[in-house]
Amino acid sequence: MPLDTSAYSLALLRVDGRRWNELRRIHAQIRTQAAADGSSYLEMGHTKVMCVVNGPSEPGPRRGGVGGTSAAGSGGGGGQSKDAEVAVSVVVAGFSSVDRKRRGKNDKRILELQSTISSALGASLHTHLFPHSTISISLHVLSLDGSLLAALINAATLACVDAGIPMTDYVAACTAGSTSTYAANDESADPLLDLNHQEEQELPGLTVATLGDSDRVAVLVCESRVQVGRLEGMLAVGVDGCKQVRGIIDRVVRDKGRRMLQEGTVEKGVGLEDMDLD
Amino acid sequence: MASIKRSLESDPFAANIASKVYVRSTKSGKVQKIVREVYLRQDIPCSSKLCRACLKTAPKDAAGRPIPFVLSDRPAGTSQFPQGHYLVPDTNAFLNAMDLFEQSSAFYDVVVLQIVLEELRNRSLPLYNRLVGLTKSEDKRFYVFFNEFRLETYIARDDGETVNDRNDRAVRKATKWYGEHLARSQPKGQAPAVVMLSNDRDNLRKAKLDGIPAFSLVEYVKQLKDGESLLDMIPESEDGELSKDKRLGEPIYPEYFTVSKMMTGVKAGLLHQGIFSVSPYNYLEGSIRVPAFPKALVILGRENINRAVDGDVVVVEVLPKDQWKEPSTQVIEEDNITKNENPDAEAGDDFVAGKERKALQEEVKRTHSKTTEGHAQPTAKVVGVIKRNWRQYVGHIDQSSVSQSAQQGRKQESVFVIPMDKKIPKIRLRTRQVGELVGKRILVTIDSWDRGSRHPTGHFVRSLGELETKAAETEALLLEYDVQYRPFPKTVLDCLPKEGHDWKVPESTDDPGWRDREDLRNLLICSIDPIGCQDIDDALHARPLPNGNIEVGVHIADVSHFVKPSNAMDAEASIRATTVYLVDKRIDMLPMLLGTDLCSLKPYVERYAFSVIWEMNPNADIVNARFTKSVIKSREAFSYEQAQLRVNDASQQDELTRSIRTLLALSKKLKHKRMDAGALSLSSPEVKVQMESETSDPIDVKIKELLDTMSLVEEFMLLANTSVAAKIYDAFPQTAILRRHAAPPKTNFDELSNQLRVKKGVELSVESSRALADSLDACVDPKEPFFNTLIRIMATRCMMSAEYFCSGTQSYPEFRHYGLASEIYTHFTSPIRRYADLVAHRQLAAAIEYEIVDPSVRSRGRLEAVCKNINVRHRNAQLAGRASIAYYVGQALRGKATEEDGFVMKIFSNGFVVLVPRFGIEGLIRLRDLADPEPVATYDAETYTLTTTGSREITVELFQKVRVKVTDQKDETTGKRGVKMELVRA
Ligand SMILES: [Zn+2]
Repeated sequence: MPLDTSAYSLALLRVDGRRWNELRRIHAQIRTQAAADGSSYLEMGHTKVMCVVNGPSEPGPRRGGVGGTSAAGSGGGGGQSKDAEVAVSVVVAGFSSVDRKRRGKNDKRILELQSTISSALGASLHTHLFPHSTISISLHVLSLDGSLLAALINAATLACVDAGIPMTDYVAACTAGSTSTYAANDESADPLLDLNHQEEQELPGLTVATLGDSDRVAVLVCESRVQVGRLEGMLAVGVDGCKQVRGIIDRVVRDKGRRMLQEGTVEKGVGLEDMDLD
Repeated sequence: MASIKRSLESDPFAANIASKVYVRSTKSGKVQKIVREVYLRQDIPCSSKLCRACLKTAPKDAAGRPIPFVLSDRPAGTSQFPQGHYLVPDTNAFLNAMDLFEQSSAFYDVVVLQIVLEELRNRSLPLYNRLVGLTKSEDKRFYVFFNEFRLETYIARDDGETVNDRNDRAVRKATKWYGEHLARSQPKGQAPAVVMLSNDRDNLRKAKLDGIPAFSLVEYVKQLKDGESLLDMIPESEDGELSKDKRLGEPIYPEYFTVSKMMTGVKAGLLHQGIFSVSPYNYLEGSIRVPAFPKALVILGRENINRAVDGDVVVVEVLPKDQWKEPSTQVIEEDNITKNENPDAEAGDDFVAGKERKALQEEVKRTHSKTTEGHAQPTAKVVGVIKRNWRQYVGHIDQSSVSQSAQQGRKQESVFVIPMDKKIPKIRLRTRQVGELVGKRILVTIDSWDRGSRHPTGHFVRSLGELETKAAETEALLLEYDVQYRPFPKTVLDCLPKEGHDWKVPESTDDPGWRDREDLRNLLICSIDPIGCQDIDDALHARPLPNGNIEVGVHIADVSHFVKPSNAMDAEASIRATTVYLVDKRIDMLPMLLGTDLCSLKPYVERYAFSVIWEMNPNADIVNARFTKSVIKSREAFSYEQAQLRVNDASQQDELTRSIRTLLALSKKLKHKRMDAGALSLSSPEVKVQMESETSDPIDVKIKELLDTMSLVEEFMLLANTSVAAKIYDAFPQTAILRRHAAPPKTNFDELSNQLRVKKGVELSVESSRALADSLDACVDPKEPFFNTLIRIMATRCMMSAEYFCSGTQSYPEFRHYGLASEIYTHFTSPIRRYADLVAHRQLAAAIEYEIVDPSVRSRGRLEAVCKNINVRHRNAQLAGRASIAYYVGQALRGKATEEDGFVMKIFSNGFVVLVPRFGIEGLIRLRDLADPEPVATYDAETYTLTTTGSREITVELFQKVRVKVTDQKDETTGKRGVKMELVRA
């Protein structure tokens, strides 16, 4: 087995060879499933997720679909309200992690992930345009290697863009951590960007998502214990990481758009005039 | 439909990402495959001060500080590389010869490859920690190069290549890259050579084919100046590695099972895992406690012990019933049986040496002659070792194993080293300096024990000095019990208050130091301690209250004010865990300035304290208890004797004396209550060595006297500890640091209660501590007052030892302190000399909201680690203290011969153990010590009676009072001077 996170101070290198402020490789695709309204596939390192978006759809026969079966959190109020409901379902495949533990649908962690994603996306999607309807976001986790919530939010953002649901801006997320444990109480600890699984297990960390290019924080989740003094540095690094992530997903969207134009999938000028294609 | 499969190939950035696949097996036996990403990069510097290229891309931390370069720009040369060189050792080099790398005469500028560090960590955590220690030392210049992350040095495993071969290749690749990289930036021929060190012949050969400078440790050391003296530190197995084929090595021990076979067996309940321990009286008998059985399994004989060494974690298999035996009633000492073995010629010998076989036969005969079969106990054999507990051992060279020629020459010789610890087997050592080492205390390690060798093989680490000199023996003792005795490093001393000895409690009560402190300077507080005590942890006071009750205060040195969590001083104290008291030396847990001055509750000066204050009624019931940080001024520091005199002197009617009398009266009531609750009064003989004041040579030995004032202090300390335990548990149910004493398993008393029944007709009841206390009280012999103490000493040895623990790890009923009959207990009253007390202080301070709780005393994982360490250190400190007394008792008796009364406390078929209360020592008297020729003896195990006939006719039974002559003698086996006992009359 390789070294653990305590080796960082030896050469300022993390367990996978990154520096403190480096993201893992992010690879993303949109429109991976032609049958869905919107879809995406996203890898952050070895964390791999797939997302399918359907809707917005009117209540009725279709409502019994994805949204109905999921124990969904709702961002913009229920289906009865004036805003569309954002119904999120997360399924973690049994083979996604090493221990191959099955997570039930009602697993507390899953419920919490769903509700967090729902409110995060709800803040950016223009749900008021679709009263009494539902936007179903269905996420599948194929492989787990840390920063799961961040990957899910990014994938959901991409799929919503693909589905053409109007939104204020991208919601881009990533994690940040710290190089030494809470108990070590080391004041000189460096902040870390984008934690992998091992780092998540051993070190304090948080997930942050920002809205577009701004510093506006849409999500901030911290489930580990960390000294307040270190929090500021972690948050700053996290917000900076979100901007990098935004740049990457923005390029994915634009590349796809350009290719679709070239391939003639979309006629020129159909809602893409405002896109800066070079 | 877009393909989402080939994301990696399509990514231009992906060329620098590699995947690493690991297979690991979990505790439950499952195999897991782990895939990890690895990011390859080119900005990992070589860290040579000669290199310009790497300087530009050197990494910086989040604050923008770069890591300074490590490797010297003028590295030392060798005979072959006068231009200087850097070393790149492989894993085996570190595994075999870590001591070499820690030398101060050579081994500077070393590149530690990441892959080597990883492998080392998997093979041996202690060695890994030592290597990390080296990389942090500034003068040794060890640099960790992350070869697995640098693009140029990363290699993927080829098809069919073993992990080891791949890692060896990675080491060669990195060495080669280093050489070329440095050569590029230096004028031709001036760049330092980069030399690979390995003990693997194949690796060396491949390196040479590749044109990489590479040497074995021996070849390399020979190039150094004064390399000769280092050669001994290269372990035996290294030679073995290079000359494997030369060895005859007919295996004489059974082969170990594979790990998976052991795991399956343990899981199925057919094999058992536990810690192997050797009988102190018989080196061929071991025992192992396993969870499956209530009693320990017995492991008899060399073949069954199968190379296990005391303390190893091993897996055993129970032997068939016809091989079950009673544990030996014989004393067998390795030295007498294997005395004239030749360390060189051993492969040809058969497995059990002749004499050893004879001893076993007698053993079997005796077992067979027994009519009662029920006595036979399950036996087992070792089938594998999970984890070695090998450490460094102190010992001396067995003179009889040294050949005449070796005394002068420089030729490498094999000799035996006899460890001081009798439970450790002789260690075979190859050395070129036999002449210098004979008669010295030396430190050695065990390197290996293969099937072909009767004894383990080790190598020399260093010499401590002449045998029997005070310096060498004291250091030996400290090393043997792993006591950290080096002076405190500067980083620790930097944590001390700047004012030094001039530090004072601030005069102004507005000073932040006074925040939330009660001013108790007006109270008549005093301390009572042993004579000459300098580190005064505790002081007391008592005063009557208007309502007829009494206020009692226990004031403890406020160490946590000076030692802040997680700084260097705290880290050092947590490692030391306890102050160690030897007869003539004290190894402090905290620097002197704190221990004997600033924290110490010295008389006549103001000091910070942490106070526990009770209101008690005259019956010593607690009406209420409170805790506060305070400032006190002790009026007097009494010795126990002084305080006792004062209390007894009716003419002394001053307030201070009266308050001590009040405390004394209360303490008697407290003790009475404790005894009623079932607290045990146990015993171990405590003696004191009197020293000549000028030369500090021991001159006499005295049994410690017990005074009422000692019991006074003890009672209030117990009370304070109990009160604090309840308080911190209330505040931190999961993480309070507590101390528990488990009830001993009933079977522990089987032997003793049978002995008492047979010999004295007394029943020992062990259902509860109360029952045990009562039946111990009943064990009296009207003619022999010491008999009761003797039984208490023996009962104490049947007990479990008390331990520190973190409250979340046990359920409440398990908190119980059996010996003190207390539901909950902790240590609070000696923070100067015990780390546990310091943690309790921090927790109490947080519990009373004096300060916010520090993460280090709230993290359960960390506390568990702290408890584990202090439990070990605590025990070692006790053992070291006892060993030190034993050594000085031997010195005090030197050249004298006295006749003393003794008591038989253990009996074997070929000897017996006598306890001499006057000196608090035990001695073994063997049949052959009784007369020459050795008398014939019959041993009746039913009645614990040994009868001899022939050259001397005596009858000795258990508990019997005997007269012995006590003289000093140098024990040739351990090289220790100790006492020798001769039987004068039975
Ligand atoms: Zn360089």
